[in-house]
Amino acid sequence: MTIDRTMIEPLLEIKNLSVSLKKRDNISVAVDDLSLNLYPGEILGLVGESGAGKSMTGSAILGLIESPLYISAGTISLQGRSIIEAPENIRGSQISMIFQDPLVSLNPLKTIGEQLIKTIKTHFNISKAEALDRSKKLLSDVGIDPERIEAYPHTFSGGMRQRVVIALALAPEPSVIIADEPTTALDVSVQAQILNLLKQLCTERGTSIILITHDMGVISETTDRVAVLYSGRLVEIGKTSDVLQRPQHPYTAGLVASTPNIDPSSFDKKLFQIPGAMPDIDDVPDGCAFHPRCEHARDKCQKHRPPLFDARVSCWLSEKPGGTL
Amino acid sequence: MSFVTVNQLTRLFDLSEPWIVRTITGQKKRILTAVDCVNFQIEKGETYALVGESGSGKSTIAKMVAGLLMPTSGSVIIDNKNFNDANLEKASMNALRRKTQMVFQSPYASLNPRWKIGNIINEPIKAFGLIKDENDQHKRVIELLEQVGLSERDIKKYPHEFSGGQRQRISIARALASEPEIIICDEPTSALDVSVQAQVLNLLKDLQKNFSLTYLFISHDLAVISTMANNIGVLKEGVLVEQATPNDLFHKPQHDYTKMLLAAAPTLQNN
Amino acid sequence: MERFFRSDFFYHFRHAPVAIVSFVTIILIILAAIFANFIAPTNPFDPASLNLMNGFTPPLEANEFTGERFLLGTDDQGRDLFSTILYGLRISLFVGLMAVLLAMVMGVLLGLIAGFLGGWIDSVIMRFADIQMTFPSILVAMLIYGVARGILPPEVRYEMSIVVLIISIGLSEWVPFARTVRGSTLVEKEKEYVTAAKMIGLTRQQIMLRHILPNVLSPVLVIATITFALAIIAEATLSFLGVGVPSTKPSLGTLIRIGQDFLFSGEWWILLFPAVTLLALALSINLFGDWLRDILNPKLK
Repeated sequence: MTIDRTMIEPLLEIKNLSVSLKKRDNISVAVDDLSLNLYPGEILGLVGESGAGKSMTGSAILGLIESPLYISAGTISLQGRSIIEAPENIRGSQISMIFQDPLVSLNPLKTIGEQLIKTIKTHFNISKAEALDRSKKLLSDVGIDPERIEAYPHTFSGGMRQRVVIALALAPEPSVIIADEPTTALDVSVQAQILNLLKQLCTERGTSIILITHDMGVISETTDRVAVLYSGRLVEIGKTSDVLQRPQHPYTAGLVASTPNIDPSSFDKKLFQIPGAMPDIDDVPDGCAFHPRCEHARDKCQKHRPPLFDARVSCWLSEKPGGTL
Repeated sequence: MSFVTVNQLTRLFDLSEPWIVRTITGQKKRILTAVDCVNFQIEKGETYALVGESGSGKSTIAKMVAGLLMPTSGSVIIDNKNFNDANLEKASMNALRRKTQMVFQSPYASLNPRWKIGNIINEPIKAFGLIKDENDQHKRVIELLEQVGLSERDIKKYPHEFSGGQRQRISIARALASEPEIIICDEPTSALDVSVQAQVLNLLKDLQKNFSLTYLFISHDLAVISTMANNIGVLKEGVLVEQATPNDLFHKPQHDYTKMLLAAAPTLQNN
Repeated sequence: MERFFRSDFFYHFRHAPVAIVSFVTIILIILAAIFANFIAPTNPFDPASLNLMNGFTPPLEANEFTGERFLLGTDDQGRDLFSTILYGLRISLFVGLMAVLLAMVMGVLLGLIAGFLGGWIDSVIMRFADIQMTFPSILVAMLIYGVARGILPPEVRYEMSIVVLIISIGLSEWVPFARTVRGSTLVEKEKEYVTAAKMIGLTRQQIMLRHILPNVLSPVLVIATITFALAIIAEATLSFLGVGVPSTKPSLGTLIRIGQDFLFSGEWWILLFPAVTLLALALSINLFGDWLRDILNPKLK
C-alpha cells in the first residue's frame, strides 16, 4: 500500500504510554514512554525479543494490565476517545484479541456455534436465527465448513482452532484486532495459511491489526508497518520494507542480520551476532538502553536517551541528517 | 563405515485404550507408526539435520539415537556400537553413553533448578569417573564454562540467575563435560530470541570445529538448519521423504512436501 | 543469613501481620514447652510434690486449706494447671512433631516411588491411599492404636504408649504427602533435566533422590505445617478419648478430658486453659501454614 499514513487520522493512538511494575519497594518500567499510531486498515507489527514489552503493550490496549503492573503514564485513545478510563465497553466491541494458544479463547464445554452466537448476540440486537446465519458465514469466511458448527473445540486441529478463534474475534466486527503471536504454536505450513487468512480478512473488512511477534520472517511477509521494541522502548518504526531493508537503528540492523535465512550464499557461514542480551527491566542502563551491546556507542549514548528522530528511529547516530550507520 | 548409521529404524506406539475398555466398547487396537524404516548416515565431524513439522517423528528418532528409547525394529550404530545390543558389556555401554550427549530445547527445564551450575556441569565428570581429584574437577568445570563463553564467577550460581541463552550455554557445557563425540541437538534454539539464537548456533559451530564433534540436529526451522547442516533429511509422518545437501535441497527440491515447506517458511527476502 | 533477610520470603513475612503473630505465638509456645522445667513453678509429673489438699483451687485464689495460690488454678489432684499445661505441651508437641516426620518420610518416599515408577506399583500405592482416605484419619489412628496395643506384651504397653501414639497418627496422615509428591513427580520426571540425567547413565534411585526429590519438596513444607496442627489435634482427641498417653503424664488432650469431668460442677478452669492453649497452638500453626502456602505458590507470587 502506498497511502501516505500521516494524512489520515489515526484509529488508535498511544501517547507516551508507560507500564510499570511494583515489586517490593522497587518500581521498574516494562513499557517506557511508548508512542504509536495505528491507522485504519493497516497491519502494524510489534517486534522485539522476549521481555521487550510487546505483549505488555497489547495488554495495555485491551485494559488487561493487572497488579503488580500498572499504567503509570500516557494515554491510549480509539477514534479520539480515551480507553484507559473506560475500557470495558469499547474493548469488547471495538478491539478483539487473538492469543498464541487458541484454547485460551475457546470454551471446551460449548460448541463453536454456541460460542459464536453468544458473542454475536452480546454485540448486536438480532434474533438467534440471524446470529446463526452470521456464525455460519463467519465460519465459511475463515475456511471452516459451516456444517461443523455443532462441533466442540477439541475436535479441531491446532490450525483449525486458530481459525475458529479468528472467527470469534471477527464476530463483533471490531475495528482493531490485536494478534499476540497467533502462529507461534503452529507448524510452518499452517502458519502461512493463518497469516494469509488474517491479511485477506482485514483487507476485505478494513480492520486494522496489531501483530505481535518475535519472528522477523512473519513481520516481513505480513505487516505494512513495523515497530521495533527494545527494553520497553520504541527504537525504530516505519514501513516494513524500509525498516527491514534499510534499518537505521543498530539493534534493528543486528536483528535482521542475525536472522537465519534460506540463502545458499550463507550456507555454512557464521551468522551475524549481537553480543550480550537484553537487560532485565529492573536493570536498564542509563542513556540508550542498547548502548552496552552497540558497536557504534559514544559518550552521548551512555548519558542521554535519544528521542525519536524523523518519526523513525531513536538513535543518536540519526541526530544529524547524513549521520548513518 | 560411517560414524553413525541409522538402519531401517522403526518405532511404533501403542495408543490403544486398556484391554478391559477395548473389550467393553469393542474398540480395536490403535497403533501409531511414529518412525517408519528410516535410514541415514552421519560422517564424523559432520552435521546431519532432521527437519519436520510436529508429529513427524523427529524427536522420536533423536531419543532412539540417544539410547533413551528402544526401536521397535532397525538399529542405530554409533562408532560400531549399539545401545540395544543385549551382548554389550557394561564398560562398552558406559563408553557409548559418554560419547553420546544431548542438548535440549527448553533452557528452563533442562537444568535442575536446585543445583548450582558447577555441580550441574561436574555431574557427568563424576558419573563417568573421568577425573578423580576434586581440584582437577573444579579446573575442568571452569575450562568448560570458558569454552561456552561463561566464567568462573558463574560456578556458584543457580540456573534461575541466568538468561535463556546463557542457560543454553550451560547445557552445552554439561554436554561437553563427558568429552562426547556426537551431540544430539533437539531444537536447541527454538525457545531463544533471534539475536541469542545466532550466538548459540555460532557457538555450536565453533565447538564442532574445535572438538571435531558430530551433530544430529533436529529442528522445524529450515532457515536454521540451512546454516548448520552438511546433510538434511526431510521427515513427514515418520517417513524420510527426501535427503540431500542444503544446496540441492533448496535449489532442486524433489518431493512436494519439501517444496511446500520451502514455500511456507517466512523469510526476510520477499519484501 | 544475610541473604535470607533480603529475600522475597522475608519481605513478604514482614508485611504479613497474621504470619508474624501466628509465628511468634508458635515460637513462644514451643519455647515455653522446651523450658518448662525453668518456667513452671512445680513439676506436675512428680507425684511426691503433689498435695491432694490443693485440689480444685480456682485461678489466683488462695486454697482454703493450704492458702497456696496458683496462676491458673489446680486440677482434681492438686496439680498446678499452669505447670501441667507446660509439661503437657511437651508431650503434645513431641508426639505431633514425630508423627509428622513419620508421615512425611513415608508419604514423600511412597509418592516419589509411585510417581516415578508408575505402572502397577503406582496403582497399588495409590489405591491403598484411596482406601485409607475413605476413613476419617482419627478412626485409622484408633484402629492402628488398638492393633498395636494388642500385639505389644502388657508389661511394655505403658512405656510404649507414646511410641504407639506417634506411629498411629503418623500412619494415618501420610496420604496427603504421597498424593502431592506423586503429582509433582509426574510433572518433574518429564522435564529435560531428568532426561539429561538418564543420558549419563544414572540409576533410577539416583535420579529420584538427587534430582527429583529436591524439586518436589516445597509443597511438602506446607503440608507438613498443616499436618503438624492435625497431628496435635489427633493426639489431643485420642488422649481425650482415653486411648492416648496415661493421665499420670497428661498431655493437653488428657487435661481436657479431666477438665470435662468437672465442667458442670463449676470447676471450669481445668477444661478452659488447656483447651485455649490447644486452640491457640493449632490455630497459629494453621494460619502460618496457610500463609506459607500462599507465598510458596508461584502463581500468587
